[in-house]
Amino acid sequence: MDPQLFVWIVARATGVAAYIALCLSILSGIALRTSVLDFLAKNRALRSLHDFMAWIWIPLGSAHVATLLLDKTAQVAPLDLVVPFQVSYAPAAIGLGTVSLDLVVLVTVTSWLRRRMDDRLWHWVHRTSYVAFVTIFLHSLLSGTDFSSPLISSISWSAALGIGLLAASRIVFGRLPE
Amino acid sequence: MPSWSLKLSAVFITLFVLVGSFDYARGHLKNPNAPLQPPVADRPAATSATPTPAPTIGPLLTTRPGQRPPTITPGPRLTLAPGVRTATLAPITLTHTS
Repeated sequence: MDPQLFVWIVARATGVAAYIALCLSILSGIALRTSVLDFLAKNRALRSLHDFMAWIWIPLGSAHVATLLLDKTAQVAPLDLVVPFQVSYAPAAIGLGTVSLDLVVLVTVTSWLRRRMDDRLWHWVHRTSYVAFVTIFLHSLLSGTDFSSPLISSISWSAALGIGLLAASRIVFGRLPE
Repeated sequence: MPSWSLKLSAVFITLFVLVGSFDYARGHLKNPNAPLQPPVADRPAATSATPTPAPTIGPLLTTRPGQRPPTITPGPRLTLAPGVRTATLAPITLTHTS
């Protein structure tokens, strides 16, 4: 197989898989602190899953980004991974991916440094994961090559719907205390 | 539910999606419905067929003394499509004489 073709296929596959892994991470995180699901609040297995999912989506997300850097057609430069909306074509669609990457890195790093941080500040930083998810969803919707496929689209929309429902119930019915 | 079973399920779900989407992308290399159609950076140079020299045919007919030489009408000309190259086989010649 042509190396450029292989890189392109891996970029697409890891993008979809990283999206699903991130959805599982966010779902398990919201479920822990939603009053509707109060029976899950003390669930150590779910808490453990939320922490563990970072080790799934980080390699997948890294592979997605690395393969896009190697792909000549994608025309993504290393600076585009940090500074959004700089790509020569479709700057909004690809820039949303950069914003989500920056936010997800921020949320993950601050989670590892939580014990050294102020609790209120950590909570506010952690809440940006909602913004990160919205930008990831829009990025996949506006630039995802396979998002038009019925199967992949149904999986992606279902995951987004699940997160949306849990987030809405958290707003309406309240959040469980720590 | 034990913690390891939840983690294992999550790993299996993600791997299933990864393998499935890899297989899908391999089967659908180009998606005309994709929202982004970036311009191709390096187009491969168009290959042009190198024309082969026209084969020369030696005298096929011999005439006896006093015999009018037969008129040879030109046969149909072979025109090749741009991508078609001629083979290096011996040309087909007319062997029939009257």
